[in-house]
Amino acid sequence: MQVKDCMKRNVISIPADATIAKAAGIFVKHHVSVLPVVDDLGKPLGIIRLSDLLSLELPDFVKLVADVDFVHNFGAVETTRPDPELLNRPVTTLMQTVITVEEDDGLLRAYALMLQHQLSDIPVVNKIGGLVGIVSRVDIGTAVLSIWPSGPKTQ
Amino acid sequence: MMAALLTSLIFIISLWLIFTEKINRTITAIAGAVLIVGLGKGLGFYSESKALAFVDFNTIGLLLGMMLLVALLEPSGVFQYLAVWAGKVSRGRPVWLLFLLGTITAALSMVLNNVTTVVLIAPVTILLCEILGIAPLPYLVTEALLSNVGGVATLVGDPPNILIASAAGYTFDDFLTRALPVVIVVWLSSLILLRFLFHKELSVRPANADVLLQLNPAETIADRAMAWRVLAVLGTAIVFFFLHGALNLSPAFISLGAAAAALVWVRPDFDEAIHKVDWGLLIFFTSLFVMVGGLEAAGVLGFIVRFVAVASALPPVLFGILFIWVIAALSAVVDNVPITIALIPVIQGLGARGMDTGPLWWALVFGAGFGGNGTIIGSSATIVIANLSRKTHTPITTKLWNRRGLPVMLAACAVTSVMYALAYPLFVR
Repeated sequence: MQVKDCMKRNVISIPADATIAKAAGIFVKHHVSVLPVVDDLGKPLGIIRLSDLLSLELPDFVKLVADVDFVHNFGAVETTRPDPELLNRPVTTLMQTVITVEEDDGLLRAYALMLQHQLSDIPVVNKIGGLVGIVSRVDIGTAVLSIWPSGPKTQ
Repeated sequence: MMAALLTSLIFIISLWLIFTEKINRTITAIAGAVLIVGLGKGLGFYSESKALAFVDFNTIGLLLGMMLLVALLEPSGVFQYLAVWAGKVSRGRPVWLLFLLGTITAALSMVLNNVTTVVLIAPVTILLCEILGIAPLPYLVTEALLSNVGGVATLVGDPPNILIASAAGYTFDDFLTRALPVVIVVWLSSLILLRFLFHKELSVRPANADVLLQLNPAETIADRAMAWRVLAVLGTAIVFFFLHGALNLSPAFISLGAAAAALVWVRPDFDEAIHKVDWGLLIFFTSLFVMVGGLEAAGVLGFIVRFVAVASALPPVLFGILFIWVIAALSAVVDNVPITIALIPVIQGLGARGMDTGPLWWALVFGAGFGGNGTIIGSSATIVIANLSRKTHTPITTKLWNRRGLPVMLAACAVTSVMYALAYPLFVR
């Protein structure tokens, strides 16, 4: 089995000139956790994660204090929203380097990359680098399990 | 002459590299030490055995023991407990919060490493400010300043003090009677000055004070039994520090003894504890001892002693005050540890020429201790706070430091100069 056999072909992406606010809208509308940022030819330039947007709102202390369990009420930060000026910046200011797999790659190669880079989803590209799909850990994991000897036959 | 010139050149280039931070300071110091020993062997003025004799193992041992104790205390959550407690007691009143956090930082820095103190108190400070909805800047600046101020008070508070006590033979009690009174006045006057420097920020009453009251400090303690054990050992060590002169025990023995006792009693994950020891700093110290030993062996320090001795024609009080300000200015731009290690043999040389070294040792304590507050890169504690603030939404800039930190350092040196002049006989040997 290859990545193309378990990937989602309907991949939601965002153009490089879109704003952070626009990205937020797409996340909400499509209920996804990552958005590949693509150029005019459909090649991935980077990736923006839901967590990258949330980090704009997350208080600083969460990164600095080892265990925040004793803070039962986050007080003022619960109602602080990011600066509108910040939200009008292009998504490219917030995007991360993208790691992709090719559609002909094996499942374990894709899974290993996700494990090592702590990714939940990984964009899939064709031979010429164009975005053709996206796979999640669940897509790959269940695809692997489905070909185990005692797997799907018990259904 | 050749030896003196080349050794000074290596030392000055090393200081320059440490100042510019282009290369890690420990790497610079190791390379500089090796070059000076190599040069000394080639020209016949220095050797491996002479270099080793210059290393002050009392200082290294004392630092290692304290670092191990802190490594055990750190995960227990005691520091978070104190900061959260301060937050609750302040009930969200900014001036109270500033005074309490500043005082806790100064008090902890008296016995513990300044960097450790700010590294552990500052994140909780940011937490308190964020849930209150106020800017953490005044509190972070205060903590950086007061950790350096507090460190001056005791023999174990700050590396320069450990070095000076070891070289001059001062005891823990000598520091309590000479340095502590000055520190108490500087600490109070710094807090009052900071209250006015941050007048605007501190006059905003946060709306979310009730959220602060919901915090329970007890929940921050990760391991109660471990916390009590390490605190008990630390408390015992402090009692022994008070008595070390009378008992004829070296501070290094007490500190390493306490570390050994705590390790045996707590039996932590040793690899984790030993990893928290700042080995880079210990190697930095050792390398600096070797470098300064080379300066002395090459005759550079003898030359400086003769030069400084000319200035000692000034009235002694004036000479001491001048010494405080010159060292403070130097410490504001370069790490105060190399300055202290280099000046120790100079003061000893002046002593050998018949000068009373007592007032000079204390001038070095005050200048090296308070000087680091002059710039944002002046001390490890200010650097750590600046780096930490850079990860937040409100970074501390050089400009901000020059307006709010530098005045506090200048005031500290001015207050110290007045007290030094008034109590001059106390500092005489």
